[in-house]
Parts: sequence; structure tokens; C-alpha cells
Amino acid sequence: MEKLVACQTCGLVQEVDVAPKDSVIKCARCHFQIFHRRVDSRVRTLTFSVAALILYIPSNLYPIVTAEYQGHHIQTTIFQGIHSLFSLHQYFIGSLMFFTSMLTPGLKIIGLIFITLTLDWPHWKKARTWVFKIIRIIDPWNMLEVFLLAICVSMVELGEVATVHPGRGVFSFAAVVVLTLLATLSFDSRLLWDSSAERKL
Amino acid sequence: MNEKSPPLPKAQVGKSHLNWLLWLIPVAAALVCAWFLAQDFIFAGPTITIYFENADGLQEQNSLVEYRGVKVGEVGTLKLSNDRQRVAVKAQLDASAANLARQGSVFWIVRPQVKLGALSGLQTIVSGNYITVEPGNGLRTNQFIGVETAPIKPVQALDIQLHAPKLGSLQPLSPVFYKEIQVGEVLDCRLGDDAREVVIHARIREEYAPLVRMNSKFWNAGGINIHIGLFSGANISAESAETLISGGIEFATPPDFQNTATNGTVFSLNEKSEDEWEKWSPAISLHAVPEAVINKPPAADLRNLRSGFTP
Repeated sequence: MEKLVACQTCGLVQEVDVAPKDSVIKCARCHFQIFHRRVDSRVRTLTFSVAALILYIPSNLYPIVTAEYQGHHIQTTIFQGIHSLFSLHQYFIGSLMFFTSMLTPGLKIIGLIFITLTLDWPHWKKARTWVFKIIRIIDPWNMLEVFLLAICVSMVELGEVATVHPGRGVFSFAAVVVLTLLATLSFDSRLLWDSSAERKL
Repeated sequence: MNEKSPPLPKAQVGKSHLNWLLWLIPVAAALVCAWFLAQDFIFAGPTITIYFENADGLQEQNSLVEYRGVKVGEVGTLKLSNDRQRVAVKAQLDASAANLARQGSVFWIVRPQVKLGALSGLQTIVSGNYITVEPGNGLRTNQFIGVETAPIKPVQALDIQLHAPKLGSLQPLSPVFYKEIQVGEVLDCRLGDDAREVVIHARIREEYAPLVRMNSKFWNAGGINIHIGLFSGANISAESAETLISGGIEFATPPDFQNTATNGTVFSLNEKSEDEWEKWSPAISLHAVPEAVINKPPAADLRNLRSGFTP
């Protein structure tokens, strides 16, 4: 059966055969991919989220920075940083740090995994939509993680006063930021309400 | 459909990417975690427990274990021992320093020390106290009893005993001079068994050992000697500025010297020298000790250096 499709990049209307499995359809003019739903959206979102979930553990357990100052040797994890902010009565910044760098990445990763795993079950559509709404709300706050990285960079700039080594935590944390970003990018929200028949197209 | 319209172009069909490759991403993430764990548990050095009488100045998760000025480990936790007599300091050694955890290793805490004639550990005022070690060669072990002060570094030396009526200003590490050149030091001072005399345990470095003869004379070189005579006037003498503060021992050997002293030989320590002793200047060959007796520390060997630490 042939269908008429407009390319999303150049707008050319063209005929499309039913593509065999494991194949991609490319525009006759601009050679960009033509898709009904984002390609491999489910698998990509799932793999990126799982990888982010795995690295979320070391990013919270290992120190973000190791500072050496005149023989003093200080290691700080994200949680210790938040804890010391609270003990300095910086409740606002402390809770902001807690929400943006510990809670929201974790919630987002778990939410994405939940959605991608339950796509085959139509009864869970309501829960999926609900989770997706939460993800949409916390998503902008997630971007503050990048500011946390910026703070780390400014600490490394202290190099002339103290020796500051980025710890293992900061590498894992950077990887979590990038992976959650990729997971959200590759997620096609139309999958949320697709019936199983429609997903085959 | 309008018959005049040109046929629409046809989309191309290409081969899809292998989407199982995507699963390599979580696998890679898991490998990174495994690498972190391996570094913590497999490639980590031993965790040792050192019992100190006083862990003053050590900080949990912060203080370092250093050897020859290089960081070889970190202090983990500080806990009171079960009998409350000591502090159990858990330290994580680096993998390259695993060989330090051997029986006979002596650990002590470097603290700032300001004593008459000796300042040491001043850097620790700023950097905090740290643990350091004099390595032993015994079997591997994880439990150590720490000492309070730095042990005197053992060297090849002739050990002698000096008996004196009173201590004067001598203390461990006070110098022993021959012609005002330091040839050895005091190791420890204690009261004799019958409390009538002070027993001073000193050592003469092995290259100077031939200077000590059975009839050598020792005297206390510390303090100031003031001698006021009717005709000679006042005569004030001190051995050196150093002995003025920290005390010291000087000895001389008569020209008709006897056999070389052996380990444990007992001499008496005079309170001051006689003019005659200071004029003695016998010719003694310092190389008379047979080569076999001299036990030199091994020279640095690149093969040993590469394979990490060897005690």
C-alpha cells in the first residue's frame, strides 16, 4: 500500500512504500529521515535513562571535588555540600541544591524509565500521562545542574590557593546530565497515547 | 487524481542502524561503575589500624599518612579502643605503599615541637598533624601500636654506656663530639639500677668507632665553665652554642691508646675535662675497621625503585 507523506525538513510531498522492518525512509530530495514517530524513540530513551540511572549512584556517592590546602585534605560529595549549606543556615540555596541536583535528576530518570517500560500496556495510559506531566514541570529546574558544574569549575579556578581535583563524582554527574538530556531529546511524547496498531507504522 | 499531474517522487528506503548498539551505552555506564568499585576494593592498598595513646591533631577523613614527605595513605576513622586506653586510627594505605604494612613498622604522629635546641614539625602548624612511619621488614600485618615520639633512626653504630653522677643537661639526641665534630648521639638516659648513678646510652657512628678506645675519657660538654683563679683571671668557656642549650658529650683518646671499644663498653662520664685531655691528639686510622664489618645501607637501584616500595 502506498501513502503520501510530506517531508518534515523540506516539505516535499512524496509516495512512501510500507517499509520493511529494520529500514529507514529517506526523503527523495533532502535525504533527511522521514518518520511517523521518532526513530527508535523507545529504545533510545530507555538506554539513555538506564545508563543515567546507573551513573546517578556514583555521582552521589563519590566526592565532587577533592581539595588540598596546605596539607588539609577535603572531599565533598553533593550531599555533604547540601548538608553544610544547611548547617550554615543557607536553607534556600541548600534546598535549591537538593531539588536541582539530587531530586529532579532522579525523578526524571525513573519517570522516563517508567514510561518507556509501560508503553505496551494501554491501561497505564493515565499513569504515564501523569508521570509525563511531572517530568514536564521539573524539566526546566533540571537545567540548574549545569550551574552546579559551573560552580565546580570555579572551584578548580582556585588552583593557585588550593589544589582542587575534580573527583569521580563530578565525572559521573556530568555524564548523568548529558544522558538525561539525550533521553529527553529522543523521547517522542506521541508514544504516550499511541495505540499498539499505530505504533507499527 | 488528476491525470496531468506529474508522478510524485518516491521516498528512498535505506538500511536501519543497528539499534542493539544503543544497549552498549548502559553497559558502558555499568563498566564505569565497576571500574570505580575495582579501584576502591581490588586495587586499594591495605587498611591498617594503628593504636595511639593520643591522637591529638588528627582529623577523620582528612589527615594523611606520609612517608619520606610523600602521601602514602589517608586517615579514615578515629575510635576509642575497647579498654579506653588508646585511640584506634584506621588508615587506608595506597596500593604502592602496601609494603609499609609489615611487622616492625613504627608509626608516630608528627606534631610541631619546640624544644630547647630543637625545632621540628613546624609545617604541621599550618598543615595539621600527620602520621609517618619507619618501615619494618616483618610479615604482613594490619595492626600496629603507634609510638609517641619519632624513634631514633637506627644506623650502624658502636653502642656505649656512660655512667655519670648526674645528668646535666643531656637528653636523647644530644650530640657526642670528638674534637668538636659530632660523631654520635645520646640515645637515652635513665637512672642506674641502684639509683646511685645516671646511665647514659650513647652511640658512635661506625665510621668514627675506632676513635673510642678502652682508655678514652668522656666529659660533659654542656653548659658554661667559669673558672676564676687568683693569677689566671676569669676563664669562661663553652663548647659551642649548640651544647650550651641542648647539652653534649665530648671525648678524647690518649696517645697511648688501647684496643677499640666494643658494644656495651662502660665509661664514666666526667663532669668537666682536664686540660691534659684536650691536648691529646693521637693518630688513629679511621679506616681500620675491616670492610666486612661495615654494613652499608643498599644503594638506590632502579630495579627496586620501579617495583614500588621495598623496605
